Amino acid sequence: MLSRTIRKSVLDTRIPSSALPPTFLLPNRARYFNSTTQHVETPPDNFDASQLPASETSASASGLPLSKHAQSKLAKIPSPPPPPSKPLALSKSIKELLPLLAVQPSHYISAHIHGKPYLVTPGDIVRLPFHMPGVVPGDILRLNRASAIGSRDFTLKGTPYVDERIFECRARVMGTEAEPMRIKEKTKRRNRKVKTVRSKHKYTILRIAELRVKGLEEIEQ
Amino acid sequence: MSYFRITLMRSGIGLPKRTQGVLKALGLRQRMKTVFYPVTPEVAGQIMKVKELVAVQEVDKPLTKEELKAERRPDPGFYLESAVLR
Repeated sequence: MLSRTIRKSVLDTRIPSSALPPTFLLPNRARYFNSTTQHVETPPDNFDASQLPASETSASASGLPLSKHAQSKLAKIPSPPPPPSKPLALSKSIKELLPLLAVQPSHYISAHIHGKPYLVTPGDIVRLPFHMPGVVPGDILRLNRASAIGSRDFTLKGTPYVDERIFECRARVMGTEAEPMRIKEKTKRRNRKVKTVRSKHKYTILRIAELRVKGLEEIEQ
Repeated sequence: MSYFRITLMRSGIGLPKRTQGVLKALGLRQRMKTVFYPVTPEVAGQIMKVKELVAVQEVDKPLTKEELKAERRPDPGFYLESAVLR
């Protein structure tokens, strides 16, 4: 009994609890706070957060050595598209109805990732049917292809896609999830050998963090 | 110099051997296969033989296999806006 209290007091004195924030706010924990902790991929070494794929060439020119593995991983993340050359020309009906869509309280979006549509609304958690290479939990992805944006009363349909300057949609990478191990038994005729093939795929989890339909003034800037 | 961009839209199965031979000569082995040939009377005649099966377009420059594949690949639809410290 006494030893236990002594040990407790020793533990208390070693790290004063008032000096540290609660554990879930510590930087190494905060990233994993709301994500599946299993199978968090180790990020590539020598990676600088400020350095995005677009600025990769400038970083390598400044002498920051990137391992070949890290470079190949970063190259898999699409870089931001170049700014559009010509200003956006909106038709009259869109100019009339877009503000009405924008002021409605909740929106949905049919966002296309690699050509597949995901009908989502802010706060949704999406388990992509694939493992997105090169991203780690906490990354913010900007979704810029949508075939439809709508609210309760209005829908803006794209032909085939809505212009990406009309809306802002962001998704946060929550982590990766793994399916249960699948075991398939492979047999051949007239042969007693049974080959078992195991597969366990990983899937990236996204949370739709933000969806906003821009106002007319903001688009025309 | 301009080129024909020829895509086989319908298969040649069940057609006369002579028609199938024209497809083979054009290098169209399976549906949706795309080939490029310079605009010449010979190629135009071959296209006329199989005009019901192919889609033809006139282009300035032939595309490579990789460019054709990139044409079919859908847009990723996302990009990394801000990365966390890794």
